[in-house]
Amino acid sequence: MQAETGSMDVEVVILGTGLREAILAAALSKAGFTVAHLDYNEYYGGDDASLSLDELRKWARERSEPPHTSNYLSSQRARFTAVSSSWEAVHAQARHFSISLSPTTLPSVGPLIDSLMASGSSRYGGFKLLERVALYDKPGYVKMVPGSKEDVFKSSELGLLDKRRLMRFLMFATSEFEDKPELVGHEDTPFVDFLRQTFSLNEGASIAVAYALAFNTTTSDTTLPALQRIRRYLRSAGRYGPSPFLVGHYGGAGEVAQGFCRLSAVHGGIYILGREVTSITTSEIPAPPSSTASPRTRYTLALQDFPEQLSCDVLISTHDYLDPSLKSQATRISSDRPSQAIARCIAVIDKPIVFRSSQFSNSQGASEDETDGSTQVDTALLIFPPSCLEAGSSTAAANVLISGPQAYAAPEGHFLLHLSMPLVEPTSRTAEELLKPYLDATLSMADAGRETSASESQPIRPSHTLFYVQHLPTPPSPSDASQSLGSLFVPPSDETMLSELSDSAATNAETTFWKVVEKLKEIRRIKRESAETEGDKSVEEPVVDSFWPPISDTTVVDQDW
Amino acid sequence: MSKQFQFKLVLLGESAVGKSSLVLRFVKDQFDDYRESTIGAAFLTQTVSLDDGTTVKFEIWDTAGQERYKSLAPMYYRNANCAVVVYDITQTASLEKARSWIRELQRQADPSIVIALCGNKSDLSARRQVSQEEAKKYADEEGLMWGETSAKSGEGVADIFTAIAKKLPLTAPPSARGGAARPGASGKPGGVDLNKQANAAGANEPCNC
Repeated sequence: MQAETGSMDVEVVILGTGLREAILAAALSKAGFTVAHLDYNEYYGGDDASLSLDELRKWARERSEPPHTSNYLSSQRARFTAVSSSWEAVHAQARHFSISLSPTTLPSVGPLIDSLMASGSSRYGGFKLLERVALYDKPGYVKMVPGSKEDVFKSSELGLLDKRRLMRFLMFATSEFEDKPELVGHEDTPFVDFLRQTFSLNEGASIAVAYALAFNTTTSDTTLPALQRIRRYLRSAGRYGPSPFLVGHYGGAGEVAQGFCRLSAVHGGIYILGREVTSITTSEIPAPPSSTASPRTRYTLALQDFPEQLSCDVLISTHDYLDPSLKSQATRISSDRPSQAIARCIAVIDKPIVFRSSQFSNSQGASEDETDGSTQVDTALLIFPPSCLEAGSSTAAANVLISGPQAYAAPEGHFLLHLSMPLVEPTSRTAEELLKPYLDATLSMADAGRETSASESQPIRPSHTLFYVQHLPTPPSPSDASQSLGSLFVPPSDETMLSELSDSAATNAETTFWKVVEKLKEIRRIKRESAETEGDKSVEEPVVDSFWPPISDTTVVDQDW
Repeated sequence: MSKQFQFKLVLLGESAVGKSSLVLRFVKDQFDDYRESTIGAAFLTQTVSLDDGTTVKFEIWDTAGQERYKSLAPMYYRNANCAVVVYDITQTASLEKARSWIRELQRQADPSIVIALCGNKSDLSARRQVSQEEAKKYADEEGLMWGETSAKSGEGVADIFTAIAKKLPLTAPPSARGGAARPGASGKPGGVDLNKQANAAGANEPCNC
């Protein structure tokens, strides 16, 4: 089609189509900037992608081989380690799985929901309420977690005194607690200690609040951030239903990323997937003689199997696409988090998970489908607090996001288990060694059949399992904190916490957006000053006064053109 | 009582065959000679009323240019009830491209999808390279609907969408598999519409059965 070699000139090139980059691409395109958005992979979503079973298999294979000449794959191989898998023969419905590399639950109030609604990309995807959150209790059994004040009130599991204490805590957690005497001086106290000391919560309640309400992931997680999360989640409850959380159809984050990419395309964004960036070269363009501006950088990218070169004023890239020398030139958006690692497991099972309450007569108020208080779940969260498994971690909590056909994550009759656990300290144990006890404990909840009771049923075997450790990208070494605004941006890494990842992606996208817009405005100003582009409409002063401009009447769903 | 159906319709075809023009003609009865590649189209809706009182509302998704470098997202095909694959009767190569899009649809989309092959730019028949016989034969072999249209004059445009509308309710009841792509739209069990808040706690309680 485009046989001739040429150059495609845009203002912004974005490398990587993860959720954060997708939101950024949509916002920049909507603001009127020309954007080309690229990915090494043939699918959308980068590290947040939703993959079919075959794509996941390829993904794992690519990351378990020795380093590669491509920057992207080499970086990915350094960031996804200890990959081990077991695959049964080809699955007939392999294409009907949407397996998320970034399992997430989305709070019903927060930056991502705001972006979905304000941008109009909410119309492209679907969501489902998270049905349940439960704590692992013993093989085959869970403890249901009271998710709201109503649940606490109705619970017959809690004694009157405990109920009053928990209610008092929840009232506190929904208030503007920052300057309250209960908190002042305890902001950095480990949260469980705070709950027990300040609110006299018993051990069970403290663990439930810390790990299943605040979603703490380690014993050392501190009080202030945990309280802030609880407040947001409690305020999210009731917006779309009893649960504060939504789970996206078809694998969540990867699908939401596709929606934002489509939105970018609708506003002129150019999409090129499945191409390796073979080189990134920089050239300096001197400022016009009349101008006081300093010379600006232009980036030229060559792609494999692509006739044209891409050239841009601003380059935005995830860590994986950049070699170390380019990475060191990147403008820092905000202070990066310290390096973190998270052990993950994905398992495919063909039996549903059943939450059997160990205190079935007093499980939470919601209706149960069986008299013994057991509930078959499609989309739910199972939490393993620290020290709850003998073979497990004593310092980290693990969680399992279960997602099935109702979340369009798996075909009828199949379910996905996504296990995650942060690695608190360096370990020589593999992801499989670390997570196997948790997987086995989760499988003990599977419904092996009506005729067998929980105690005598044989644990089921997953048809596919994949274990790996995901390392957050190493932050670029800051050359100079006070450096002037460059034209290469590496957006900050997102939170890894299941309930925070998607909001963090939206927040990071917005922070990066404003820095990039500032730079793009500066470049357009310089271009206007130079004679060669006189009368060129593409360098007009852009008016950008909000992340998402209001959706005007002419772009509402039914008249969108 | 009149019945109402809503279907997701996706457009496919090589760049510049007139996909967007076809939809602009169908939805707004307009034509713009100088339309460049698609900008600003999320999706459009248009309702077709059939003789028996049935109304069919199309939710029409344009490729937004993402087909250019083979970068259409799986989301595009998901839950599509029907597809209009467009070629340009003055460009033989565009029919070849249409064939590859049809193969892609057969691979990616729901097996029950209704596909219409549409030869656009029939006003330029003086420069015709694709004969009606050739296209019709191919369509018959693959079990596709077929028609020629001119987005410029309007000829054949309403016909092809009406033909699809007539065929759809019979073959693909929308209640069966979430016909609409809209979040929380009917047919998605436990789906949440982000634009609708729960009236009261528990209103959107997912089905526990």
